[in-house]
Amino acid sequence: MSDIAFLSASFVFFIVAVLYVYGCQSLKGGGKDA
Amino acid sequence: MTPNGWLQIAVFFVLVLLTAKPMGLYMAQVYERKKTWLDPVLGPMERLLYRMTGVDADVEMGWLEYGAAMLVFSLATLLLTYAIERLQHAIPLWNPQHLAAVEPYLAWNTAASFTTNTNWQSYVPETTMSYLTQMVGLATHNFWSAATGMALAIAFIRGIARRESKKLGNFWVDLTRGTLWVLLPICVVYALALVSQGVVQNLKPYDTATLVEPQSLTTTGPDGKPFTTAVTTQTIAQGPAASQEAIKMLGTNGGGFFNANSAHPFENPTPLSNLLEMFSIFLIPAGFCVTLGKMTGTPKHGWAVFAAMSILWFAGVATCYWAESQPNPLLHGVDQRVAATGVSPGGNMEGKEVRFGIANSALFVTVTTDASCGAVNAMHDSLMPLGGLVPISNIHLGEIIFGGVGAGMYGMLIFVILTVFIAGLMVGRTPEYLGKKVEAYDVQMSMLYFLIFPVVILGFSAISVLAPFGLSSLSNHGPHGLSQILYAYTSAAGNNGSAFAGLNANTHWYNSTLGITMLAGRFLMIVPMLAVAGNLATKKIVPPSLGTFPVTSSLFTVLLVGVIVIVGALTFFPVLSLGPILEHLLLRSGISFS
Repeated sequence: MSDIAFLSASFVFFIVAVLYVYGCQSLKGGGKDA
Repeated sequence: MTPNGWLQIAVFFVLVLLTAKPMGLYMAQVYERKKTWLDPVLGPMERLLYRMTGVDADVEMGWLEYGAAMLVFSLATLLLTYAIERLQHAIPLWNPQHLAAVEPYLAWNTAASFTTNTNWQSYVPETTMSYLTQMVGLATHNFWSAATGMALAIAFIRGIARRESKKLGNFWVDLTRGTLWVLLPICVVYALALVSQGVVQNLKPYDTATLVEPQSLTTTGPDGKPFTTAVTTQTIAQGPAASQEAIKMLGTNGGGFFNANSAHPFENPTPLSNLLEMFSIFLIPAGFCVTLGKMTGTPKHGWAVFAAMSILWFAGVATCYWAESQPNPLLHGVDQRVAATGVSPGGNMEGKEVRFGIANSALFVTVTTDASCGAVNAMHDSLMPLGGLVPISNIHLGEIIFGGVGAGMYGMLIFVILTVFIAGLMVGRTPEYLGKKVEAYDVQMSMLYFLIFPVVILGFSAISVLAPFGLSSLSNHGPHGLSQILYAYTSAAGNNGSAFAGLNANTHWYNSTLGITMLAGRFLMIVPMLAVAGNLATKKIVPPSLGTFPVTSSLFTVLLVGVIVIVGALTFFPVLSLGPILEHLLLRSGISFS
């Protein structure tokens, strides 16, 4: 059971990281450049 | 402090200074895919690897693709290490002590730790990890995580150097070339040098030695009554330590083959091996300054960054050496050996190895936390409060004082961007960095990079000092206990991996949260860094004007140091004032905590 929990946690973290990558990308153009 | 101690510190720095240029120029050749003298041997191996994995070495990636490749690779290696740890008892290979499977919380913590180049160890290697796990799971990971950090630094440097390009290079090629051309050849020679000093390298079962003087040991039995047993033998752990030790130091990984890490005589037997180990931590990070100058066409900028790193390194080592040269005020008058004599170094020798002494212990403490190495040759928990302040502050600065392989360079470059931004604000001009305009998106991403670090450290530390499950495994109360918890999360977020000791981190709470902290401290910081690199690469080069702040001058070096100290140190000053600084003041008043 713990193995499945930790493997799932790892996948979830990396999926969050990939979403975070796209979040950072989407911020581009959101602010007015100096 | 003694002239001899300062001389040894000076020898160390001269070695770093002399090797930075050849190392940096060589790495520039490797990553720019130019000719090197190792090509006849390594070229065919590289091509074979690409053929086997289907990598097209000529296809470059944008920052999104580069980041995604890095994340996929890291996830795959994390799962592989987890699987090896969990299955080590069932694999009939290189497990002469018949060690059991690593339990899930610890296995996950260790897999996250080695994937992120942290090498935090909540376990005792000799009694937990088989030789197979040490070699295939951990030592191999040391190469992968180090090569990943180096690849990311190169991607950032390309982002600065390239004009109007959407590409940062090919992650798989950078990973392969960093491993084959830089890490492996040095490690082969280095491991042999360590063996010559007495570091063990074998696959034998552990030795058992008969004690010359048998000892009696009194412990408490299951019924609560004390009982005494006679100890007549000692188990002496063996294993393939030298091959792991070399990459542990060169790759700024820091995870010891033995529990005592570089304080163990089989990992770091002599003063010469100690010098080699410290030097190898800085070898690649110092070289990266020259690589930066070479690949951006501004060698002086690389040396200006090198100078900023050197100033901060010196400030750390001088403070730590001074603090450790002071005797503990609570021992003063009780034990006269704390005073320096002709046969004793004086000062605080608690937790230090006699063969290294105070100067080389203070230098090791500083170097291992300037970089994200985390190997130790002395116990950080036994440092004087201000001595302990140095390693924790070094990590709080972001480990950019030479720093981890690659990670130190890209961390420093984020500080450089912030510095030119502040300089631009001072003169009221659009900030420029080597001809690239630094704009809102670059600063947003840089600030995201900086903010993640204190959020994870202070957030988890705050919960741990309030909750019973956080406090239950502390060995000290008062400000020292706070330092122990703060150090653990700082070390994890900074991907350092050194422990203050004193805190039993092998609990479900610490194994889980430190694992999350390590992953956040690595990957959630890498992403905004790559975003900055990708954005810089797309920009045009603006010719220098009167408003351009030169990044090759001594003024730039001073301003960079100032920004690092203000942003890095002041973020954590309140919590440090409750930890090591308060402990120092109380100790001077004769107050300590059990």
